[in-house]
Amino acid sequence: MRFDKRWAAALVVVILSAASSAQSSDKQILVYKEKYIMGTVFEIAAYAESSEKASAAIDKALQEIVRMDDLMSNYKPESALSRLNRSAHFHTQKVPPDLYRVIEQAVQFSRLSGGKFDITVAPLVNLWKAALLGDSMPSLSQRQQAEGCVGYEKIELTPPDQITFRSSCMQLDLGAIGKGYAVDRAGEMLHSSGIRNALINSGGSTILAMGSPPGQPGWLVHLRDPSHKIDPYVMLKDQSVSTSEQTAVSLLAPESAGHIIDPATGSPIDTQFAVSVITSLGTPSDGLATTLLLLGPKVGKSLVDGMSNVSAIWLSPKAEIETVNHGPGILFGKQL
Amino acid sequence: MSFRNMVLLCLCAIFSPSAWSTVFVQWNGATLPPASSLGVNEIVLAWERGAPTALLATARKQGYRVYVETPLNQATSAAKRCAEKSCAGIILNVLESESAETEKSIASLRSAYPKLRVLVLSPGGKQPKMRGSLIIKRDSVLEVSSPTAQPWIDTNLALIKIEQRSRRPQIPLYTFSWADQTILTADDYSLAVAEAGAFNADLVLQPDEHLQEGLNKRDGEAWALWNQVRSTLRFSAHASAGRLEPAANVAVIVDQLDPSDEVTNLLSRHNIPFQVFIAADLKTEELKGFDIVIVFAKLNAETAERINNLASGAATVVVVDVHGTYPWQSSQPVQLNEHTTSYAVGSGKVLELAEPVSDPETFAQDIRRLLGKRNALLSLWNGLTTIAVPYKDRGARMTLLELVNYAGEPLRLQVQVKGSFTMIRYETPEHGCCESLEPVKHDGFTEFVIPEIRIAGRVHLESQ
Repeated sequence: MRFDKRWAAALVVVILSAASSAQSSDKQILVYKEKYIMGTVFEIAAYAESSEKASAAIDKALQEIVRMDDLMSNYKPESALSRLNRSAHFHTQKVPPDLYRVIEQAVQFSRLSGGKFDITVAPLVNLWKAALLGDSMPSLSQRQQAEGCVGYEKIELTPPDQITFRSSCMQLDLGAIGKGYAVDRAGEMLHSSGIRNALINSGGSTILAMGSPPGQPGWLVHLRDPSHKIDPYVMLKDQSVSTSEQTAVSLLAPESAGHIIDPATGSPIDTQFAVSVITSLGTPSDGLATTLLLLGPKVGKSLVDGMSNVSAIWLSPKAEIETVNHGPGILFGKQL
Repeated sequence: MSFRNMVLLCLCAIFSPSAWSTVFVQWNGATLPPASSLGVNEIVLAWERGAPTALLATARKQGYRVYVETPLNQATSAAKRCAEKSCAGIILNVLESESAETEKSIASLRSAYPKLRVLVLSPGGKQPKMRGSLIIKRDSVLEVSSPTAQPWIDTNLALIKIEQRSRRPQIPLYTFSWADQTILTADDYSLAVAEAGAFNADLVLQPDEHLQEGLNKRDGEAWALWNQVRSTLRFSAHASAGRLEPAANVAVIVDQLDPSDEVTNLLSRHNIPFQVFIAADLKTEELKGFDIVIVFAKLNAETAERINNLASGAATVVVVDVHGTYPWQSSQPVQLNEHTTSYAVGSGKVLELAEPVSDPETFAQDIRRLLGKRNALLSLWNGLTTIAVPYKDRGARMTLLELVNYAGEPLRLQVQVKGSFTMIRYETPEHGCCESLEPVKHDGFTEFVIPEIRIAGRVHLESQ
């Protein structure tokens, strides 16, 4: 799946802050902060009656994302996830509630997608990540060996907080859902601090819109457009949008690695679509974005047809568009 | 001054190593604190409709070496007045359109006023910072940065590398305007100072009006802020023990130097050590030792022949936007993809990219992959917001690594450098010099972990 979704970070947000809603409107002060966490830049813009209130709330929300990173990081050896990856092979491990919840939700997406979305794909991700960094492409035997470690059905969840791996080499990678979960947690922190209108962005891969800017019906979010010809956008209010896109095709190499791996083939998915998904919260939008990229428009649309309040768009560099709308309407700024 | 003291002073002047990086502080206020308090020796006053005579005299009394910044068209009168008032030098603020006449003016000024330093300020500097990928505030509207601007840092490294080429032997000197920002913090100033220091460049730093006023009025908060900056000033002004040069194994050949070129910006951001050359004054021997040569310049017969010779000596040459017939095309072409054809030449190869670089981010990653693990001088993990610049000594051994973390928050960083080093020492503005780091050597590389870098860090690489 993904170890990093920064390549998908092309969502474009423009908040049409009229003069009345600029820095201050109806005593609403806009405060903006950013922080480098989870290998990306998290940004929060929040309105409140005072800058002190907004600032304190944002600090609390960012601190919560740091806490999520401490739980879900694959890079930090002492994160709860790293400890789980070291010790849960045929041994039941108790994990922090947040880690349990995010893994539980990830497994739900795996079931929903028939295994296309799979957080156990880490061994394959690591192989292909090395190729992205200059190693040779993984051999067939390396891929087969890694594939043997993959399979979400080998994760045994025992509520409320226990996990066992039914495999000796299983590794979890939460890159395809962790930032969405962190965004949701940050939203809860803002809400508990009395903030009702805010925007949280995790490096462009997931955005959570709380309320709307003062005097506006929602947050105007421009979606990723690899063709630069369509300019799709949505007006978000208490909704989230996530984007997923494969690593760009190499200009100088005969074959490309990629960071989004199809568990069925053990190889990077070969697609030039960018997928944006709009749902109510960050966790499902994040998980669905990767799922729908892996499924492709045809199967993906039928999956979304069974869901309420979900919209999605697949858009290619050649301006091929596929959409499914059971939630916020996706509009187009330009006509072909 | 006694004869003995004078001799000592002269000896110090002769044998003291030149500063690695000098910060010139731009001052606009009517008064200014003493140089010893501010911790800087160079002050810059603007030449606006004439000399700031009173301030110039005050600044000199306060212990500063005074420079006057002037547009090129007023340089002659500024230099004349400066020389009369015993300024240390003038700084020419040159427009890009004036670059052709700049060298002539400099020569003329240096000839007329030999005691006056004449420096040129590079246009095109930008505030160094980490930048969100989406939201930025501008005129009360939240907007978005370009996706190609990732990975999320604005750095002056490409500009400095280009200036190192174009204005030798002057150390690159640049400045920038602060982006719209209500309050500038100590970290903002420290990052700017650290960047110039790490990249071996000089900086004209502009304290904002409030800070200047606060420093003048001995305001406690203003001085607390500045004292934090001073620690980075001290750190960045270090004199190198010997003459060091940037280490690089990627050469970029261009027709014209363009600091705004996004390809060189992205190479910088991906920590690919590169050096810039201008096609017109390129010497073949200068390209020896480079593993990859990227050619953006239009090819003439002479350059094409050089490229062919270079490739045959085991280098990989990437020729961008190439059309026409060239010597390497006599070997069997291999179509790598829809964009690129490869030709084996001797023990090297030439890759022809048939179009301009459409995606600088992908191109930079391709260059990183082309280098491969064996030729990567430098690799960072967890370092997306960090730029590292390696330096080598006269023996071409890498001995120093300067690091800047644009996130401004403590980061644990894993580093791999090419070469076998037995001792790794790490220093920072916060903790001074030096902490020993454990080197792990393997296959001609040395790995170590930097426990924490906040804004600036320096690694000394030593081998017995």
